[in-house]
Amino acid sequence: MSGINPLSELEAETRNTNVADATSVLAGLTTHPRRAKRRRSGGFNVSGRFWVAAALVGFVILMAFIGPLVYPFGAGEKVGGLYDNPSATHLLGTDNFGHDVISVLMTGARNSLYNGLVAGLVATAIGVAIGVLAGYVGGWLEELLMGITNVVLAVPAIVVLILISISLQNTSVGFLKGIMGLALVIGFTSWPWTARAVRAQASSVATREHIDIAKLSGARTPGILWRDVLPYLASYIVMAFVLQVAGAILAEASLSMLGLGPSDVVSLGVQLHWAIAFQAVGSGAWWAFLPPTIILTLVSFGLLLLQSSLDELFNPRLRRGKRKAMKAAAERRAAAAAQLQTQPAGLAAGAEEVLA
Amino acid sequence: MTSINPFGAPASRRGFLAIAGAAAISVTLAACGKSTNSGSGGSGGSALGIGNNGKKGNGRSGTAADTLFIGGFQWGPAANFNPFSPSAAWPAQGNVAQYLYETPLRFNIVTGELLPGLAKSYKVDGLKVTLTFQDGAKWSDGQPLTSADFAYTYQLGKLDPTNSIAGLWTDIDSIETPDATTAVVNVNTTRKNTAVVLQNIAQTYVYPQHIWSEVIKSNPQLSTYQTMKPVGSGPFSVSAADQTQVVLTRNDSYWGKTFYGGSPVFSKVIHPIFKSNDDANLQFQNGQMDVMQTFIPQIWKTWENGKPIGTYLKASPYYVPGSIPMFIINTTKPGLNDPAVRKAMAYAIDTASIAETAMSGYSDKVVASLMMPSGSEAKYLDKAKAQSDGWTYDAAKAEQTLKDAGYTKGSDGIYAKGGVRLGQWKLITPTGWTDWNAALTIVAKNFKAIGIDAVTYFPQAADCTTQVQNGQFDCACWYVAGASPATPWQRFSDVMSNVSIQPIGKAAFNNYGRFKNDQIDGMLQTAAAAADDASKTTALQALDDLYRQNVPSIPLMYRPDEFYQYAAVNFYNWPDEKNNYAPPMFRGAGNTWIYKLKKIGS
Repeated sequence: MSGINPLSELEAETRNTNVADATSVLAGLTTHPRRAKRRRSGGFNVSGRFWVAAALVGFVILMAFIGPLVYPFGAGEKVGGLYDNPSATHLLGTDNFGHDVISVLMTGARNSLYNGLVAGLVATAIGVAIGVLAGYVGGWLEELLMGITNVVLAVPAIVVLILISISLQNTSVGFLKGIMGLALVIGFTSWPWTARAVRAQASSVATREHIDIAKLSGARTPGILWRDVLPYLASYIVMAFVLQVAGAILAEASLSMLGLGPSDVVSLGVQLHWAIAFQAVGSGAWWAFLPPTIILTLVSFGLLLLQSSLDELFNPRLRRGKRKAMKAAAERRAAAAAQLQTQPAGLAAGAEEVLA
Repeated sequence: MTSINPFGAPASRRGFLAIAGAAAISVTLAACGKSTNSGSGGSGGSALGIGNNGKKGNGRSGTAADTLFIGGFQWGPAANFNPFSPSAAWPAQGNVAQYLYETPLRFNIVTGELLPGLAKSYKVDGLKVTLTFQDGAKWSDGQPLTSADFAYTYQLGKLDPTNSIAGLWTDIDSIETPDATTAVVNVNTTRKNTAVVLQNIAQTYVYPQHIWSEVIKSNPQLSTYQTMKPVGSGPFSVSAADQTQVVLTRNDSYWGKTFYGGSPVFSKVIHPIFKSNDDANLQFQNGQMDVMQTFIPQIWKTWENGKPIGTYLKASPYYVPGSIPMFIINTTKPGLNDPAVRKAMAYAIDTASIAETAMSGYSDKVVASLMMPSGSEAKYLDKAKAQSDGWTYDAAKAEQTLKDAGYTKGSDGIYAKGGVRLGQWKLITPTGWTDWNAALTIVAKNFKAIGIDAVTYFPQAADCTTQVQNGQFDCACWYVAGASPATPWQRFSDVMSNVSIQPIGKAAFNNYGRFKNDQIDGMLQTAAAAADDASKTTALQALDDLYRQNVPSIPLMYRPDEFYQYAAVNFYNWPDEKNNYAPPMFRGAGNTWIYKLKKIGS
């Protein structure tokens, strides 16, 4: 939860995308923006980076959700002593409670992912709602919403998280004590960056002509937001969501590591907490602290990579092989020009528009 | 517990040569100006009190060679050496190592004996305890220490009723001082609890009258007094203290040089203040510390890895049991007020797992009793009865106990009767007390497995203390009296006494679970006043029966009174079961070893 948020960088990059979008909108007002884009780029042109990211995230998801169904030991099952060495039956040994590390790891990863998804959904939903409303409506509402957002942004999220999670542990509302409670808290504290970035996008979309047309045709504000603004932000929101999920997983891990996590639930952070408490590093029990660290790294690296490869997909300027494509385009243009010389002037104008 | 052997064989000539060799090596290294606080030294030969792997280090060089590095008592900045302050810094805290202040008698946890300290002898005559103080005892400012100082120390409890000494007068009627070396303590004639009086004498420091009679004039509430230069009677004085360390310097005019057979070989004691257990343990394992009082999981790995680290017992459980961390149940809560539910809980708890994992194997098998099955309390315990009337981990039996009492399992998998659902109960203990945190995590899992809903909650220590004392908790892992001259009686009183039972919301200092019983006070009184061992045993066993019928609390594990572990990097001749001239303690009789340690590099 550092002060530097990749979203702000993303904000700048995606603004460029919108310029590209805008041209495509100009080209065909009635065409759906995404479809127009796909036609222009000739289908999903995903890079190798995307597949690596998908493989990493897919591996963790499989491990977390399918793993516990097929693994012979349960996460709460005592199968050995304190930090038993890895063996043929327990490939990663046992943790401080004598539970099989692999089974705890799988259940922990599941809870961490679940936490990330819930927190990411909550944060994205709040952020998008506030951002779109502020960006589209503008005026005093924008000032007010952005004022609130900036205030929330100025409060260090980790402090708020720590304070709320301490009181959560003491609550009498059952479900808030678990991973759900923590996920909600993380979601409710990490939306401001999304809100700010989405507002910038929304206010740019708000000035486009198709909005005017929608207004002229009598559409109401909620309808315009839903049908004419949000679709243009969809690619951006997906990327913001992926970042929120990664951030929430790390936030949960750092809170749980401090011992402020949910009680009696396993997660990657909780696993690290017990490894520290029982001095796994000091006693050389690497199997207690390395696996959760590696899974945490894999999942957050995978999600960030996924985000950046999605960015590439959505933003033509970042696409790989740009030089090659430009060279090919130049060649095509040269060929067309050569053709032009042999054709009448009226046709030439039409061809130029196609090649633009 | 492994039996404790008498003195081992005297050091052989070969052992002497080995020591001389180690000394020569360390001298050479010192000459090279190289730091030699190596973690793994050579074989210690037949020297006593070295690492459990038979190794010892090469000794430190420079001034560090003449310093004892001790750790595990002071965790915050050392800002006040007023022993009455709630944040008193080590060693001015109550009942810790007697380096600054001393007690008249010193308790030995291994033998159960009361050894002489400031008092050279004591005599119990009915309800009279007579103490004879050492000749020539004096304070670090040169003033003589007399029986009047002892009497005045207790007087401080009357002058300022807010301090901890005030409570000691419950069991004392008066203190007389017929002459400068004699004090007679008259035990309260209705409570007749001589054992508790002896325990208090063994745990309460004696303070200088000439200092505190002045202090109390300006600080009627002693806890507000601020000092960095305390005057004590012990072998060390505070020479520096801040947020990083406490430094004690040897008091060369110490009165006890002849009594203890010489001065300590080290001229300084340094207690570094660490941020956490981890930091402290890392320093200890790296050979930077000599002796520590912290929980180190799997301590055997340190000597298996070649570190010259040792414990008192050479085999599991490594530490001498000294206390019983208790699972205290708030008997005023609906559901928890039913003895059948409490008994089911006792059956449900997998104490073997707790001992093996949460306590890293440093606990013997738990017996269903408030008396410890080893040490000085073992003679009172009826083990067969504890087994037949008590409980051991048996999840099926736990559920059966609930069913027999009329509870039925709801659709949520939790038992309930007459609208009272068993849970959700919060199990509390302070955060960062890792072994207890882990123990309660196991207990919560055990409870859920049999259909009792429970979650753990680990608040800050101060919060947790308030909640436990005020009875604002469901269940807690908390401490009750550790082995002392007054246990096991004291433990029965701590868990069940109705004498000073407090309403919920008002601080209590025993019976946190607010267990109510008509017979208990009478039985406690009978046990306290028992004249001989046979009647004492009968009375204590009757109390134990009552305890097992009502289960107001459940023993979770046995824990050492203090985690005593040493590293033979600079000193050897540490006490252990083979070299048992002193108990594995820091407090009480644990001060004996500071005079007997030998320097490796000399």
